[in-house]
Amino acid sequence: MNLELILEPFQYAFMVRAFVGVGLIAVVAAVIGTFVVLKGLAFMGDAIAHTAFTGIALGLLLGIGIHLSALFFALLTALGVVLLTRVSNVRNDTALAILFTGVFALGIVLLSTSPGFVGDLNSLLLGSVLAMQSREIALIGGFALLLLAVLVLFFSRFVLVSFDPIGAEAAGFPVVAFQSLLLALIAVAIVISIQAVGVILVVALLITPPATAGLLTKGLKLQMVLAAAFGLASSVLGLYISYFWGAPPGATVVLVATLFFAVVLVVQRLRRGSRLAC
Amino acid sequence: MTVFQSGLALEVRNLIAGYQDQVVLEGVSWQVPRGSLAAIIGPNGGGKSTLLKTAVGLLKPFSYDTLTLLGQSPKLGRKRTAYLPQREEVDWDFPITVLEVVLQGRLVRKGWRGRLCREDYAASRRALELFGLAGLEASQIGALSGGQRQRVFLARAVVQEADLILLDEPAAGLDAQTQHELADLFVDLCRQGKTIIAATHDLDCLTECFDQVLALNRRVLAAGEPSQVLTEAILEELFARHFPKVGAGGEVMVHES
Repeated sequence: MNLELILEPFQYAFMVRAFVGVGLIAVVAAVIGTFVVLKGLAFMGDAIAHTAFTGIALGLLLGIGIHLSALFFALLTALGVVLLTRVSNVRNDTALAILFTGVFALGIVLLSTSPGFVGDLNSLLLGSVLAMQSREIALIGGFALLLLAVLVLFFSRFVLVSFDPIGAEAAGFPVVAFQSLLLALIAVAIVISIQAVGVILVVALLITPPATAGLLTKGLKLQMVLAAAFGLASSVLGLYISYFWGAPPGATVVLVATLFFAVVLVVQRLRRGSRLAC
Repeated sequence: MTVFQSGLALEVRNLIAGYQDQVVLEGVSWQVPRGSLAAIIGPNGGGKSTLLKTAVGLLKPFSYDTLTLLGQSPKLGRKRTAYLPQREEVDWDFPITVLEVVLQGRLVRKGWRGRLCREDYAASRRALELFGLAGLEASQIGALSGGQRQRVFLARAVVQEADLILLDEPAAGLDAQTQHELADLFVDLCRQGKTIIAATHDLDCLTECFDQVLALNRRVLAAGEPSQVLTEAILEELFARHFPKVGAGGEVMVHES
């Protein structure tokens, strides 16, 4: 591939915005997502994405900021999850599934009253990378910086409440506060990612790159760095493929991330297999 | 204002506690003097974990007359208390190194504010050395043996400057020799003025080093020095349902009292 071909997408402003926006999102989602993978919270991430959808629908109908209303619903869900895990007679995944699918259905019904229903629904479910405006990218960048700053500031405390919440709480450490804060960060990461890849695929950005990195290292910080690299590589490569082949960009990015995971997994199994054989 | 320092590491009177609406502890009273090496023995489901967890605030008690840690309210006493969860309650695959686990002893004291400083690292390395874990700082916690893992958590308790250390089934899964080594560590810690309370569901190698024993099966069957508690009659009552015995004719009998 020659240089001209590589640079070709960059002559369009919307492609430049897509590269920057998706790249930012992929890095932040991968770093935060490392905690999601470690704590087995993928299902919860899915729940947050679905309730955030209803927040967006409500925002569109009422003509208020969609990011704000999405964030409100996402944080509410995250808080609900914290409460659910502390006082529950029902199995957590059942209660969560009932709650988030119900809220999601409400979102669809609400959205159906708007005149641009089909188009809106489509772009919310599957993402609209190429429609991202500069203002939105600035917003995403701001949130990304904020997320990473909070993560760096409280990193060892997040590790503490993830690794041994029982021992920490017994010693009087504010475990619930830090678990809630961590879930809030995850909620924010999901909300800023929805526009790019849509409600259905957003969990992939959180889960797949950290899971791929987790196959390669046993160190938490290295896993985060590698996850960010896999996330970034998936978004750049995915956007290129989508540009040249006309494939839907959000889905292509996720597909590339999935391929990375599959390749790393297979290579690792083969190498382990050959080591066992000799 | 005078601060009253009682000579008790743990005091509960008439504690009623359990899970959701199921009562497990039916009015338990027990006093553990500071510097003791105390064991809670009893069958599974007898409330050993419930007692430990309620003492450190992981479970909310239904009611009690007295509940103090180190002579203070649980809220204050917790700061100088370390609780080592049961083996299966810890995620050993978590990507965290031995040194990072021990450093958490300092982090729980800091709460919301304050970063880990050089002194915290130095204290953690000293503790690791003290517990014979030098050289393992950078190992992933799950790569260690069961006995080493216990020592990492004890090192963390020391770094936390905990005066009271509670352990839930510390001997589970350890072989006899490792249990003896653990018992020696307990004795050392008590000589330094720490109080240790361990829950254990069977009478293992640890039992012989304790100076206080609580026989617990939802109610207190006996409490005091081992010679008073570890009598045949009390053990029979405590464990009878679980000890099959071989009769004179070679037949296996299970007591159902």
